[in-house]
Amino acid sequence: MTQSTQRPGAVQGDASLSQKPPVGYEVYEVFVQPSQLEPHTHVGSVWAPSPEWAIQVARENFTRRGSAVNLWVVRRRDIAATPYEDEDFFAREFDRKYREVSGYSDNAQRWKRFKARAMSIEDVIHDVREG
Amino acid sequence: MTEALYTRFMERIERGEKIEATDWMPDDYRMLLLRLIHMHAVSEIMGAYPEKEWVPQAPTLRRKLSLMAKVQDEIGHGQLLLRVAEDLAAPLGRDRNDLMNDVITGRVKFHNVFHMEAPTWADAGIIGWLVDGAAIITQTALLDCSYGPYARVLKRICAEESFHMQHGESIILALAEGTNEQREMLQEALNRWWEALLFFFGPPEVTDSARKMMEYRIRSRTNEELRQKFLNRYIPRIRAVGLTIPDPKLHYDEAAQRWVYTEPDWERLGRMVRENTGPKSQERIGLRRRAHTEQSWVREALVRARQRQAV
Repeated sequence: MTQSTQRPGAVQGDASLSQKPPVGYEVYEVFVQPSQLEPHTHVGSVWAPSPEWAIQVARENFTRRGSAVNLWVVRRRDIAATPYEDEDFFAREFDRKYREVSGYSDNAQRWKRFKARAMSIEDVIHDVREG
Repeated sequence: MTEALYTRFMERIERGEKIEATDWMPDDYRMLLLRLIHMHAVSEIMGAYPEKEWVPQAPTLRRKLSLMAKVQDEIGHGQLLLRVAEDLAAPLGRDRNDLMNDVITGRVKFHNVFHMEAPTWADAGIIGWLVDGAAIITQTALLDCSYGPYARVLKRICAEESFHMQHGESIILALAEGTNEQREMLQEALNRWWEALLFFFGPPEVTDSARKMMEYRIRSRTNEELRQKFLNRYIPRIRAVGLTIPDPKLHYDEAAQRWVYTEPDWERLGRMVRENTGPKSQERIGLRRRAHTEQSWVREALVRARQRQAV
């Protein structure tokens, strides 16, 4: 497994996609938070001369509709990312059912034999919130 | 080396994988995408001009607001698409300034429909209904594009276009429900736009670059397939509101399962787009030139302000 990180805006070698001088117009990646119960989500990028302007342009481009409570803009060259080529980084080398709800679907049948009902996290949430 | 990269690239394309800006790609893949997306971006921006002309004259406040919202959308779409084009153009040493200068110098084409006049409110309606309708068909056909950044931006654009579709329909429905004079105005607008709408999808023959784009899974449908989809969808609706399509030859060929139509004047309309000689080409390019040059001091001032902050 290679541990290299790569900016999403850069190609390998010297033909960088963000060969701009350090101060000037450059690419900012934009993240919108639709509500305070949701995380910021990457929505795209803008080309701006400063973080303040990136926020202005991001508001015009990405929040004309729908709700937003917060905006992040991040200079693309400040982002560390995995390279797309390194597929092994996300490899699932064996069955991961044991980590998931679907790995325990037999519980319901077994509860039935004890004349009891299986429960889910949704039941608990509903009960605690509304009950 | 390059041959191995190319083979691997084509395997990825055939597996239906998405290509990213940072991935290796053949030069012609980059150039085909850049030409397509550059023209798409510029067309969004130039498409705002015929619509913005109608903002001060829109018949009601609601129409004015919705038209302004649409103009904002078109400019916004242009900016999203420019970002995608810029990342493709960066290894060629070209940035947004170069891409926008190409409009002024005539190095990039924009859609034929935006070279034309929109003399009445019914034209604004036909643009919203049928020009946007045609654009939605070509854009949805690109949603499965093999280039990830373009496919992602198109998803957002298509979601917003669904408002444009309703907006255009609302205008023409109001006119179709209106007085004889309003219906006549609508018919005259349709007469003006019909040929341009057929031209919009491009020539029926599959060019070399169109074939190459299909191989690279940039697009999956031919111009003629898309034009037929448009005709299928819109002809019944155009007729339903009592309009006559200005083409005596137009009929559905049951055996061939396709619409037969009078070909638009490919030569004349093609020249108009290539040479920017439409009735409104120069005026609208002039507006773009003015916006670009007269505001260059703002762009420079913003950069200088930032430089001063950074010291």
